[in-house]
Amino acid sequence: MEHWPVGMAILGVLLLLGVPISFSLAGVGLVGVASIIGWTPALSLLGSAFFDNGRDYSLSVLPLFLMMGNFVVQSGVANELYNSAYAWLRHRKGGLATATVIACGAFSSVCGSSMATAATMTRIALPSMRRFGYPDQLSTASIAAGGTLGILIPPSVILVFYGIMTQQDIGKLFLAGIIPGVIGIIGYAIAVRITLKLGKIDLPVEEKLPLIDRFRALKGTAGALALFTFVMGGIYLGVFTPTESAGMGAGGALLLVILQRKFSLNSMLIVLYDTMKTTAMMFFILFGALTFTNYVNMSGMTRDIQAFLALFGDSRLSFILVILVIYLVLGCVLESLSMIMLTVPVFYPIAAAQGIDLIWFGIFVVMVTEISYITPPVGMNAFVLRSVVPDVRLGTIFKGLGPFVVMDVLRVGLLTLVPSLVLLLT
Amino acid sequence: ETTITVANWLPPSHPLVSDVIVPMTEQIKEATGGEVVANILPAPLGPPGAHFDFAVNGVADITFGVQGYNPGRFKTTNIAEIPFIGDSAEVTSVAYWRVWDSMLKQAGEYDGVKVLAVFTHGPGEIFLKDGDATAPDLLDGKKLRVGGGIVHEVASTLGAVPVEGPSSKAYELLSQGVADGILFPYESVNFFKLIPQLDVGVSVPGGLYNTSFYIVMNKAKFDSLTPEQQAAIDSVTGEALSRMAGQMWDDVDAKGLAAMEGEITVTPATEAQMASWQSALQPVIDAKIAQVSETGVDGPAAYQMLRDEIAKLESGE
Amino acid sequence: MRQPVLMDEKQQEAARKELPPGKLLGPAGVALAALGGVMLTAMMGLTVCDVIGRYLFNSPIKGAAELTEVLLCATIFLGLGAVSLKEDHVTVDLVTDKMPSFIQPYRLALAGLFSGGVLLVVSWRLWIYAAQIGGYGGSTTNLAIPIAPLGYFCAICAALGGLITAFLPLKRLVARHTV
Ligand code: NA
Ligand code: NA
Repeated sequence: MEHWPVGMAILGVLLLLGVPISFSLAGVGLVGVASIIGWTPALSLLGSAFFDNGRDYSLSVLPLFLMMGNFVVQSGVANELYNSAYAWLRHRKGGLATATVIACGAFSSVCGSSMATAATMTRIALPSMRRFGYPDQLSTASIAAGGTLGILIPPSVILVFYGIMTQQDIGKLFLAGIIPGVIGIIGYAIAVRITLKLGKIDLPVEEKLPLIDRFRALKGTAGALALFTFVMGGIYLGVFTPTESAGMGAGGALLLVILQRKFSLNSMLIVLYDTMKTTAMMFFILFGALTFTNYVNMSGMTRDIQAFLALFGDSRLSFILVILVIYLVLGCVLESLSMIMLTVPVFYPIAAAQGIDLIWFGIFVVMVTEISYITPPVGMNAFVLRSVVPDVRLGTIFKGLGPFVVMDVLRVGLLTLVPSLVLLLT
Repeated sequence: ETTITVANWLPPSHPLVSDVIVPMTEQIKEATGGEVVANILPAPLGPPGAHFDFAVNGVADITFGVQGYNPGRFKTTNIAEIPFIGDSAEVTSVAYWRVWDSMLKQAGEYDGVKVLAVFTHGPGEIFLKDGDATAPDLLDGKKLRVGGGIVHEVASTLGAVPVEGPSSKAYELLSQGVADGILFPYESVNFFKLIPQLDVGVSVPGGLYNTSFYIVMNKAKFDSLTPEQQAAIDSVTGEALSRMAGQMWDDVDAKGLAAMEGEITVTPATEAQMASWQSALQPVIDAKIAQVSETGVDGPAAYQMLRDEIAKLESGE
Repeated sequence: MRQPVLMDEKQQEAARKELPPGKLLGPAGVALAALGGVMLTAMMGLTVCDVIGRYLFNSPIKGAAELTEVLLCATIFLGLGAVSLKEDHVTVDLVTDKMPSFIQPYRLALAGLFSGGVLLVVSWRLWIYAAQIGGYGGSTTNLAIPIAPLGYFCAICAALGGLITAFLPLKRLVARHTV
């Protein structure tokens, strides 16, 4: 019965050979399940995994949040967010980098994906930081780190996945992400200061704008602010549920595109094509992961890992520390979505048995996933930057990210010691 | 020793698991002298609606669930789900099993599996955030969270606005004010932590609706057992298992009602309300029984048998 | 490593400049985009109309949730066509990037065959599952829409996706050897 280590090894080889994640997971899961219950039932379970899970109403938030993000990008709102943050911070040292971090946070409130946030902000913020002589190390790191907020500040694709896998209320998870997200913005702003101090970097500052101009610049944020208020306000006032907020948000974002006069049938077609393609990519990973989870479920792996974790004592803190270390290590080499898919089914029953609040655990998981986006060798956000600006070396980006990762770890520590910061709004 | 796997999609602490499924596996083990033991899987194999087919296809050996999660598949469940059939889940479940065993199984809906139990939960009642419990038009225009099937039709027939959503979303819908109330048994109001959200409860004699459940076993697995083992399993399932499940729902309903003390004022429906609801719902009931007849089973006769059995059991026979 | 970034550069550029989508997506892509676009817009519209109907007029759309489910499932499997045509399945390229370049066409062909094989098995099982659901008249809860046709649609999409996924890298490999 205990052949799951073999299954894991085969999965690892397939992944490293570049076989798509979804089909590696599905293939190994199928053969693994068949080895336990026989081929006929295993094959019918495969059919069920690929058909029944695609007809889950709660999962409809995924394409609709993706659609909302794509519309927001299309509306050009990101540019305006950055310009207004810049108007308030341009006279401060490193003000552009701080403005970038804040604009990333603001953009995260209307976009559910970290890499989309990083990709969008790179295009908007990097050129001006270069113009003012900011070292690439600082400017790329502030975008890559700021981009991670995309999955913490609601809406968030990763929180949706977590909520579905653990049967937690997605609306509560969204609310729980807000305070940690704001702490994240503050932490990254501090990381910018630290980078300047440590590198003895001297940057030009611009002349301070008169207050009236600064307030005038805020006008550009109206679109994004209205959309965020509409979505979160609608949830709070009970007009619609968090699940419905995705469809409402997509509708609102479409309205934004039209109001900004960016609507055209041609661009709509491309935006919707991309939404559909990304939806299919993510769902096939989900189907594969669920097939693989069935194998894990039947193979006794959960029991074995529980036994392993028991070696470290049964206190809540030691459990969190062990999980943190596991995630930091996995996060170095694994891509984030697949990491969540692979680990959450194994860890959440243990966390629940430890009496850990599963909303808090979801935020914890998302924060360690954020770190995985910016740690070498596999740091997705660094890769995104690299693909947008190919002339920056990956090493430069990762080096710049050092202080930001430190702030992230400190934030995880703070929220572990003071869990009420997460649960305050829920 | 033979191991049978049991698929579970509920949290281990749910009374259907801890007070029905787990005791059932223990009784099977005891009755077979330890020859047949069960392994309850730690995590769900798929969504709840997929579980009947898991037993048909041998993905797991024993599965349980709600027939209504496969809309269109089970028409004979209507008998046990229509309004006003009974106040006790134990009585309804035992009567339902007897009717199923002597009449309903001929419809062939369960031919792919060995049926271990069919049963119902306690009667569905009315719960609202506010309102006058005695008002004749109590439900008029109220947004009520409902699942699928009969309860949807009951709600809309009585003038309510049905808000669709799975039961796990009930809290979200009520706490955010998307829904004004819910049709649920006492147990579920308590289990889904809805008591703080609700103030008014109206208990409906016989229940406003009900929900049918099944526990089934893979046929090939059952056939692979020795005749002695099969007889041992039969001795602890069927009517006995249906009764145990019904008792469990009665127990947790009583606990749910007790938990409402001081938080929700539960009063019985007035005679005027009952008269108007009964006449409004009669066409729904007739249509549901007609659907049972579509399967080849005599629907009205099955319904009459259910009523007779319930009356017999209630009078203590 | 490739993972869904919201929109890649080329697509954003094309969307910004309102280029004709045929140039970027090809004729098959445009067909997929049109059909998928209608389904996604319908999903969005259903939620918006359901919420407005319920909140303002006390009359939600009956069966909005189950229609959304059907559309979601169809969109996922239709989208598989787009992913397969673009060869955009998410992979880990931690090690593959460091392999010598002469291996790559063979590696890609093998990975394509494996993936295509898995998708064909999935397609076969979807077909059988759809037949099973059709056998007992499985339908949606409130509108009683039959589910089996959706299953057959998904099975066909999975088969086409599998064939495309296996065929494209193989074609490149063969072309390389015949040149
Ligand atoms: Na976000
Ligand atoms: Na990493």
